[in-house]
Amino acid sequence: MQRGLSLESSKSPENLRRDRINRVFARAVIVPTVLALALIAVLILDTIYDTVSVQVVEVTETSGKSFPLGQAWNAEQVIRLELLAQGLPEEEVNRLMADPEEMRIFGLRNRVELMWATQDGPLRWVVSSIDDERVSNYSLLEGLRRWNELKAGLQENQQLRLNPWLDQSFLSRDPSRNPISAGLRVALFGTLWLLTMTLLLSVPIGVGTAIYLEEYAPKNALTRFIEVNLRNLAGVPSIVFGLLGLAVFVRGMNLGPTLAAAALTMALLIMPTITIAAREALRAVPDSVRLAAYALGATKWQTISKVVIPATIPGIATGVILAAARAIGEAAPLLLVGAAAYVAFVPRGPMSEYTVLPVQIYLWISANLSEFANTAAAGIIVLLLTLAGLYALAFWVRRRFRVEW
Amino acid sequence: MIQEIAIGHQTVRREPVPAEEAVVQVQNLSLFYGKHQALYDVSINFPRNKITAIIGPSGCGKSTLLRSLNRMNDLVPGVRLQGKVIYEGIDIYDPQVDPVEVRRHIGMVFQKPNPFPKSIFENVAFGLRLQGQKEGLEQAVKQALERAALYEEVKDKLGEVALRLSGGQQQRLCIARAIATEPPLLLLDEPTSALDPIATERIEELLLELKKRFSLVIVTHNMQQAARIADRTAFMHLGVLIEEGPTNEIFTVPRDPRTEAYVTGRFG
Repeated sequence: MQRGLSLESSKSPENLRRDRINRVFARAVIVPTVLALALIAVLILDTIYDTVSVQVVEVTETSGKSFPLGQAWNAEQVIRLELLAQGLPEEEVNRLMADPEEMRIFGLRNRVELMWATQDGPLRWVVSSIDDERVSNYSLLEGLRRWNELKAGLQENQQLRLNPWLDQSFLSRDPSRNPISAGLRVALFGTLWLLTMTLLLSVPIGVGTAIYLEEYAPKNALTRFIEVNLRNLAGVPSIVFGLLGLAVFVRGMNLGPTLAAAALTMALLIMPTITIAAREALRAVPDSVRLAAYALGATKWQTISKVVIPATIPGIATGVILAAARAIGEAAPLLLVGAAAYVAFVPRGPMSEYTVLPVQIYLWISANLSEFANTAAAGIIVLLLTLAGLYALAFWVRRRFRVEW
Repeated sequence: MIQEIAIGHQTVRREPVPAEEAVVQVQNLSLFYGKHQALYDVSINFPRNKITAIIGPSGCGKSTLLRSLNRMNDLVPGVRLQGKVIYEGIDIYDPQVDPVEVRRHIGMVFQKPNPFPKSIFENVAFGLRLQGQKEGLEQAVKQALERAALYEEVKDKLGEVALRLSGGQQQRLCIARAIATEPPLLLLDEPTSALDPIATERIEELLLELKKRFSLVIVTHNMQQAARIADRTAFMHLGVLIEEGPTNEIFTVPRDPRTEAYVTGRFG
């Protein structure tokens, strides 16, 4: 029964109740959104929180620094100078240097680390006398809470300080067994090498596949089958690609745990993603534009290379950047194909050993020194910033170069 | 209403275009898409430096006929063709003739403006570059844009992406692109159907200007447009060329009842 429209209709109980339900529902759907954002915020804030700790340290000139030594130095001279500088008498030094066993015990006690054949020269001298130098390490909250108590308990030559693990030199320091002097340099270079090689392998093959499937291949059951499987392949867990890489590249092709094996594995991993992105970009080019090129007397290849591909570059670039972001964040397959070992040096070529950011973080997290949790947190922040940068780049490319048909 | 399929129908002609005045002669052309026959034994001469309009209801084969003049139908899988299309004394469907080369001699403008996602300059220079021209591109592009009555509007932004132009400007750009290589024959497939009346009027003025230099064949389902600009008009129905002759005669004294029904708006 239809009632007439009355001026009181906005005040009728049914309508008021209806409006209330609308309002409640509109508020209710905000809850999951806020929850998701809050979880992400907690995750990031907790990680940032872990990058700062409170330490009691003994102040020495050389704490946590490393000194590259030129060609003119050899290990013996360095150690001799170091010992003399520590104020040992010359006879004592000579006695130590003559007896390897004494030397070993001295070295263990002081944890002076000499690294051989580094990027900077034949030797690098890392002062890492952790026990002597860093008296204790506290998490930020605990450290701040007990700040006064700790300050009162300081002995001579000791200092209480905040250690921001993510400082400038964190990116440029080499890895070390000592968290104070450990840095990301080798992992950053490893990631850069791996990413470059992976893209060089996967972009031509992935885009080429897309061009063939989209522009040349007949549309039949076989190509539909390939299409479906490309999408499945893009969803295969990355560890499976790691197993494949281990069997085929590391063992089968005898590449060993090298960058080359890792790049081949990662190329396989991201190729489906690139192909799918490129196919979608090709499909977005209207046929009318292809016909225009044909009508001007272009051959098929000229049409594809001069008209279609230039129009798809923004779409393909976006897809490649997103695939690159995935490649940068992957640790699992690389652990299988050999990135797990402790690597002290920057890669020098495709056959080098390597480590990458997520693997370095994984190694730090699983290390048994609690301070590595701080370096891991700092590493995670670097990784997240890198990924955020890549996503921003993809977003910008899409906005700036998108073709509006 | 006319429903019967007129296979082997004799085209009504009045004083057909003499062979020596024709830029293209279509002789007994039949075309099949797979099992479906789209053109039935079409014969027509298209005159030089004139505008010929092909009119007819949707699906009558007028676009198919147009596309067979520059072998664009070759791009459709499963196309089969009988008969001859003679251009400059050569049957363009002769097995020795390269279809890509044919399209460099016969320009085409499409229903929807389809500029390349490149700069205005590169759009017009595309055909010239395909033919290997490297010198004097600026001059040739300028000339083509002037002939397409677009130069004054775009002369300061030749480097801008062509997709930012308005629909009418895009279509004139497509005409400039097609005539940059100076093809003697220009085919237009409903070139104004996606445009507003003002843009349409500009294109029509432009076509009347262009016929001094080029021969034009235009497919249109707008009969007023055919009446306004075409020197000759051909009426097609269900793949058959029903009637062909000077435009004013087709519209005022049609001889076939189907032509009369169509031009008086009783079907279409």
